[in-house]
Amino acid sequence: MDSRFADMLRPFLKYAGGAEITLESSLRDLGLDSMQAIELLFAIEDTYQVSLPDELLTDTTFATAGSLWAAISGARQC
Amino acid sequence: MREAVLDADARAVWASLGRSGVLSRDRPAEVLRSLLPSLDAQYSLGIVLSVCVQIATALPILRSHGPSGVVGRVSAEAARGEVVLALAATDAGAAGSDLMDLTTSARLSEDRVVVDGGKRWITNAVTADCALVLARHRPQRHFTSFLWVLVPLDAPGVTRESAGSLFSGAGVGHLTFSGVSVGRDHVVGAPGRGLAMFARHVATERLAGALWASALCRRVLADTRRVLAARPLGSGVAWDNAVVRDRFARGLVEARRVEALCSSFREGELVDSMVVKVAVAESVDRVLAVCAELLGAESFADGGVAGLRAEAAMFGVAGGASGALLAGVADHADYLLGGAR
Repeated sequence: MDSRFADMLRPFLKYAGGAEITLESSLRDLGLDSMQAIELLFAIEDTYQVSLPDELLTDTTFATAGSLWAAISGARQC
Repeated sequence: MREAVLDADARAVWASLGRSGVLSRDRPAEVLRSLLPSLDAQYSLGIVLSVCVQIATALPILRSHGPSGVVGRVSAEAARGEVVLALAATDAGAAGSDLMDLTTSARLSEDRVVVDGGKRWITNAVTADCALVLARHRPQRHFTSFLWVLVPLDAPGVTRESAGSLFSGAGVGHLTFSGVSVGRDHVVGAPGRGLAMFARHVATERLAGALWASALCRRVLADTRRVLAARPLGSGVAWDNAVVRDRFARGLVEARRVEALCSSFREGELVDSMVVKVAVAESVDRVLAVCAELLGAESFADGGVAGLRAEAAMFGVAGGASGALLAGVADHADYLLGGAR
């Protein structure tokens, strides 16, 4: 997970505070609500110039920082 | 004040706009900026509502699918004004602003989509040829559990019911889908992107509301000003009265507030759109309240300001109720105060 991704995530996670965001960090527990998740999707697709494939548009993909990063990494390799 | 326009037909207005080519432009906010003042001046609130929903949201969602297949064909027909669209988001199974809990379902198979459920208070429901239906294709309470389906409203299993006489011309009504089966090619965009697509375009719909409100306030204030300038009061006319002028000026200040909000709107910015929508709903009501008060009994005539004010309460409901939007505004307090998102 690159530092740019963690920096991108932080503004969407209102309970993250100054704590480190790790692969295991639960995005919902850190405050990612549905509207912010949509805005995060837009930010990801704009920043990394990727479109997450249909089969990865699931709640599981958005569960943790690691699962989301894995989806982005996969999409970048396509 | 505008008796001549009350019998106009929303489908005819839509067809006329289509023939003019204006619906084929791909910048809906610019189209609405140029169209809304003249639409508001010519047509009833219901007809403007019918047109606005299609330009701001329904057409852009269809267009985002691309030109291929049945969705692309209907998109082109709608842009030519030949097909009238309804945007069916508000669900019979959940509170209006709570899309995450909507219960209308879309069961996907390899080549079909089967829609079950209901939609309420849908503009153009009674008059449209097709509805864009926001439905759940997965049970999880997550934004990726939704898609849009294009449903021909003459399909077996669709029933429509008028919602009553308010918003004349808007064809507002309720839709029920009972085992409605359409081809899989009626899914608009990718499954899982339904709410994201809506979010992309709902900000434009809210800007449309603000632009419309601005035109409406300006028109009603101008009409009221003319009446006051001609209405005898004492040895002069009502407009000469200091209290009347003060009341009117307050309405004018509110109207300018709406105009300023429209000017500062950043297109596609969701958080801005929530702030603007709440503020505009409050200002429109204040302007119409001032005008109704100044016009007195005349405001209760057919097509008068009192009736318009009742219908304009829609600005605080459709596209996100003010209470729900204020919760969103509070969620983004730090960002709105200049901090990070």
